[in-house]
Amino acid sequence: MAVAGLGGLGSPASIYLAAAGIGHLTLIDAQRVEPSNLNRQVLHSESDVGQSKLKSATKKLTEIHSNIEVDGIYREITSKNVDRLIKGADVVVDGMDNYPTRYLLNRACVRNRVPFIHGAVEGLVGQLMTILPSRGPCLKCAVPKEPPKKPHFPVLGATPGVIGCLQAMETIKLITGVGKPLVGRMLIFNGTDMTFDEIKVNRDPSCPVCGKHGR
Amino acid sequence: MAVTVKFFASFREAMGKKQESIEGVNNVASLLDELVRKFGEKLAEQFYYSGTRELRKTMNILVNGGGLNLPHDLDKPLKDGDVVAIFPPVSGG
Repeated sequence: MAVAGLGGLGSPASIYLAAAGIGHLTLIDAQRVEPSNLNRQVLHSESDVGQSKLKSATKKLTEIHSNIEVDGIYREITSKNVDRLIKGADVVVDGMDNYPTRYLLNRACVRNRVPFIHGAVEGLVGQLMTILPSRGPCLKCAVPKEPPKKPHFPVLGATPGVIGCLQAMETIKLITGVGKPLVGRMLIFNGTDMTFDEIKVNRDPSCPVCGKHGR
Repeated sequence: MAVTVKFFASFREAMGKKQESIEGVNNVASLLDELVRKFGEKLAEQFYYSGTRELRKTMNILVNGGGLNLPHDLDKPLKDGDVVAIFPPVSGG
């Protein structure tokens, strides 16, 4: 299992994966803990500020489950290393905070036929979609164009808590074969009016990533 | 018969409703025009940059589950029975 990004999404996702007894977790992150992270990045504490997120995450996760094997990769994800970083993973969890890197992971997962659990949040809104290469649409089918970058925006900490937990749930469902994964459907959570909705998403035959000319 | 438009997140908040049935539109651009005509400036502010007709890059539209490459696909034809979903993708993590 690989968790790419140990922020607001990667924190709850990895905690619930570790608590569920996932034997091996690959954690990918190249950031250090900042005070502004602490409202939502529950892997890290005040005493971790200034340290690498990998260090606090590894400590926290192995405290939860002492038998867990954690491989920490302190690297930015790039087009050159992404295939190597996700190699061998059964599932990749999207804990990124930007679309360029999400698109890199999406493409690499499609190319290597690795399930990718997409999540994203802002304010009180979150979105979730499970990408099963060859079996359903990819992230590029659902969001063909990169949304504009916002340098700063608020996130209510519980919002990635909701989405990150659902990412862990999708991951556990996939590896155990339980239930129906969120394939071809994007879940939209809106904490403002406390609603969960689904948007139907079809695979785009001309998708540059998963279409017939993609990969 | 008509086109069904489903709104999510901030678009739903601006509309005050989950979905709307719109008749007499033949492509996505004319659908957005009709929605603004019917629901006014508050919705126009969600669709376009202030004082312009330039589509906000925070708009994501799917027609019958197919994502549109905007603004290029604004001329995508619509027919009765189509379902259009409008949502603002979020990006944080």
